[in-house]
Amino acid sequence: MITRLSIPPLSRRRLIALAAGTAGAAGAGALASLSAPLKLDITQGNVQPIPIALPDFIGASPSDPAMARGITQIIASNLQRSGLFAPIDPAAYIERISNIDTVRFPDWRQINAQALVTGRLARLPDGRVEAKFRLWDVFAASYLDGKEYATPPDNWRRIAHLISDAIYERLTGEKGYFDSRIVFVDESGPKERRVKRLALMDQDGANVRYLTRGDDLVLTPRFSPTTQEITYMSYGQGQPRVTLLNVETGQREVVGNFPGMTFSPRFAPDGQRVIMSLQQGGNSNIFLMDLRSKSTMRLTDTFAIDTAPSFAPDGSRICFESDRGGKQQIYVMGANGGSAQRISFGDGAYSTPVWSPRGDYIAFTKQTQGRFAIGIMRPDGAGERILTEGYHNEGPTWSPNGRVVMFFRDPGGNAGPSLYTVDVTGRNEQRIPSPSYASDPAWSPLLR
Amino acid sequence: MGTSRTIPTRDVVIFVVAIVVSIAVHIAVLVWSSLNFAAKPLPATQTIAIDMISASDFSQLTAGAQNAPKAATARPLAEKVGERKPVDDPTAQLAKKEVTAATDQAVPPPEPQPPAPQHKKQAEPKRDLIADAIKKDLAKKTEVKKAETKAPTPPKRQEQPKFDPRKVEALLDRRTPQRVATGGETVNDTVALGAPSGTAAQLSQSEFDALIARLQQFWNTPAGASNPDEVTVVVRIRLKRDGTLAAPPMVLTSGRTPLFLASRDSAVRAVLRGQPFDMLRPEHYDQWQEIDINFDPRLMMMR
Repeated sequence: MITRLSIPPLSRRRLIALAAGTAGAAGAGALASLSAPLKLDITQGNVQPIPIALPDFIGASPSDPAMARGITQIIASNLQRSGLFAPIDPAAYIERISNIDTVRFPDWRQINAQALVTGRLARLPDGRVEAKFRLWDVFAASYLDGKEYATPPDNWRRIAHLISDAIYERLTGEKGYFDSRIVFVDESGPKERRVKRLALMDQDGANVRYLTRGDDLVLTPRFSPTTQEITYMSYGQGQPRVTLLNVETGQREVVGNFPGMTFSPRFAPDGQRVIMSLQQGGNSNIFLMDLRSKSTMRLTDTFAIDTAPSFAPDGSRICFESDRGGKQQIYVMGANGGSAQRISFGDGAYSTPVWSPRGDYIAFTKQTQGRFAIGIMRPDGAGERILTEGYHNEGPTWSPNGRVVMFFRDPGGNAGPSLYTVDVTGRNEQRIPSPSYASDPAWSPLLR
Repeated sequence: MGTSRTIPTRDVVIFVVAIVVSIAVHIAVLVWSSLNFAAKPLPATQTIAIDMISASDFSQLTAGAQNAPKAATARPLAEKVGERKPVDDPTAQLAKKEVTAATDQAVPPPEPQPPAPQHKKQAEPKRDLIADAIKKDLAKKTEVKKAETKAPTPPKRQEQPKFDPRKVEALLDRRTPQRVATGGETVNDTVALGAPSGTAAQLSQSEFDALIARLQQFWNTPAGASNPDEVTVVVRIRLKRDGTLAAPPMVLTSGRTPLFLASRDSAVRAVLRGQPFDMLRPEHYDQWQEIDINFDPRLMMMR
């Protein structure tokens, strides 16, 4: 069967057009060769501190520049102490800032500033102080960040710490840690009869406050992650007891009445439970206690000394120190108990493991042949690195952003211990000033 | 039997149309293939001249003539261009070395400066160096002062950080992922091989390395970041002939996290601070006019 197709008769013109069109399309299909850009890989940079210019904040009134200058100096010392910034000497500044929103960038480029902070204070009608700041990228001549804060006048140091955190976060990409506090054991008096008091201070050493009177021996204070509470061990009446202290109200509470000694308490990430070790007879095991219901759960059950437990920030696992294998080593276990994996395998005795708030490292004290060291390792035990070594370094605690480790060092002899910080890369070891000797520090979360 | 009958007009038309379309498509395919396959001009290849020679002539040639003049040996192709090595005055070099060995640590920064600025002034301070070596035993302080006056003269170099052995190791150890072929710089006209104009058509390895070194020097990275995958940034720059940026750098990767923002800013800052990229030769401008730079700090970070 011949099927009939009805095709409109193609005129000659249309045929030529069709042929030309096809040929043209084919010609256009030929790819034109593009010139590709040159490609480079830069895999190495330098880790030098960022030069930053911090001209004094403009004061609320010309006759009162003290608070403005104080805020600027706190920000500068915070940033310098972190080791990641290098504030430029104000004597080198060329431009005088009178308006925080307009900047002559060539003046700042000339002194090699890479970042610039301008700020201003003002008095609000209700008596509060308002602070505004602007952060600038000098080479790109662009505005990076800016915020405003208002607070009662006697809280002005906190504004400086909040601004430091904002600058730190914008330029490094990590959350800051300057708006936080340290609780520690303040030691005073002669070595044979040291008076130990719980003390609280800002992370830069200011605003020291004593929380106990020194009648009882106090040890291992730890902050709650959620509330303004501290848990610590106190040796009142000869029996060590885990105690809760509310920083704001001063209220004190003994946690549980255990038949035995309780040690090294620490909060769980939800702030509702406290984990500790309880000594019964010759061994000690780890217990978890709910603060509301006072119910306890036993997590380890060995004839060894299991102590110094620390929660992972997500609350799923804990790490602790145990000598079940002979020498003290670090183990990781599920938060409900069960089998524990050993993660420390180096040469020496590992103790006081603390999980980083970022969850990526566990800090510890390591003792090898009389030498003490503070180190970090990954939660699976890999990548062990020593951050600092010396006689009697102990008791690491993490900054809220997981980048800085604070510990205490006892030089021995008649002197007492002092607090030190070191960056997680092992660089920038700094001494933290305290009114007297200090030990057993614990870093609070950010005060929000 | 079938009777003869004329083919209907419509069928003829269809037949003709089909033929025409077929021819057109064939022409189109031929045109397309001829355009496409012959599109790229052949790169300039080196032609080798060939002479046909008989075996007897060849053996006569290779035997050679006894009193033939000595032929000049072929000049070797230079691998690096630029720095004039101080071959002509080894004594000045030695004097300088004596000075550095005896000098106190008070003047480390000017000493390990790259030899380039020193050599450019080779003619002038030659006397000074030898005179210094003589005066060296008398007073060390004059040496310190002389080194300090030399220090400000190359102001650009002063910006380099103090000599850090770790950085040297990094430079030596590095394997660049793209190896650009070295271009021959000297024209070799005694040898018959090769094209008559033997100029390099590509960016030389030394320019490439110097550009990488410049960017590394100005790239500030925060080590120890938590998530390494967020910190890789690709920046595209377009340069003018003098090595400065023709337009603001274009960031090709995107992200929103604070870590990405900080990484992006430090990559852009490295490019802004690193200009002018005067180590790139103007004759290769079309090669480096547009550059994609991948800033990847993951190797630097802790695992």
